[in-house]
Amino acid sequence: MSNEYKAWEKVANMLRSRSLWMLYYCTGCGAIELPPTMTSRFDMERLGIGPMATPRQADILLITGYLSTKTLRRVVYSYEQMQSPKYIVGFGSCTLNGGIYYDSYATINKLDLYVPVDLYLAGCMPRPEAIVSGFAALMSKIDRGEANGWKEYQEKNDWYKSNQIEALGEVYVHDEFHE
Amino acid sequence: MYTMNSMNEVLKEVMTIAGEFSIKEVTAREFIIFVEASRLNAILEILKRKGFSHLSLITGVDRIEDGVFEVFYTLFRWESGETLLVKSSVSRDAPVITTVMHLWPTARFYERDVHEFFGIVFDGNPDLKPLILENWNEMPPMRKDFDPQKYSDDHFPDRHYGAEFLVEGGDESE
Repeated sequence: MSNEYKAWEKVANMLRSRSLWMLYYCTGCGAIELPPTMTSRFDMERLGIGPMATPRQADILLITGYLSTKTLRRVVYSYEQMQSPKYIVGFGSCTLNGGIYYDSYATINKLDLYVPVDLYLAGCMPRPEAIVSGFAALMSKIDRGEANGWKEYQEKNDWYKSNQIEALGEVYVHDEFHE
Repeated sequence: MYTMNSMNEVLKEVMTIAGEFSIKEVTAREFIIFVEASRLNAILEILKRKGFSHLSLITGVDRIEDGVFEVFYTLFRWESGETLLVKSSVSRDAPVITTVMHLWPTARFYERDVHEFFGIVFDGNPDLKPLILENWNEMPPMRKDFDPQKYSDDHFPDRHYGAEFLVEGGDESE
């Protein structure tokens, strides 16, 4: 890697960390902590993080809470639609180890087996202070150029794909709305 | 006008047409009746004509120690605000019960749901394909002999914490 390229990457990372658009995949109960984080009390926008409506224009995919096998398929779809660089934040203990749904027949336990997670927010559920501090950590991680989950997803794509297929059987969505 | 014991009157009328069945009073506005599967459709049809025209829910319960599946039909009567739970059971070995789609077309989805989670076959429902689960090859997951912990362990690996993490977090023996 040339020095010129490295310098450009450094500037780019600094800029990336200061303008983050977030798509939140609110399947779990933890999503209830987002309204106070986004509105005037904790005001996430002062950190440069704003909500985004579509995966194609978002930088962060925030996954709040448990993921059933059915929703994991949709998460993989959404993640693969996003433009690089892209970051995943796993929110709450359900994404870490299954949380209280650890023995459910329908809920995955370890999110980082299926998609690369750059930051975990532990807690059931994390309070807005924890979310803000987590995002500050993510921003400094991006700034240092260490949030490389999206590169890892390209390099270890076979590993991620085989894990997805092992848990889901098939990633492609078959239901009556997709027939 | 309907009085507080209008439910009793309706049930007595149904009994004179369809024969005896046992009744349990939960509150003044909530009753449970127990009906064999063979008479279920006839009684539901009479109840519908007597004012219990709203089918709120069809659901199942696995009574594995008795070897039966219970099937519940929750009916509601708008004139008096009364709820009636019609309870029936089918054997676990051959769980087949007749559909009520001809009485309530919306039963299609409740029956699809119960079929998916308990494996009860609703004879006459043309649409018993999966509703909620995807790529499911195991036994229906709401049956009591299904082991969700084992399924989860087989399909979704858990995180294993190393010894150093446990020491950091405080060991129980300390």
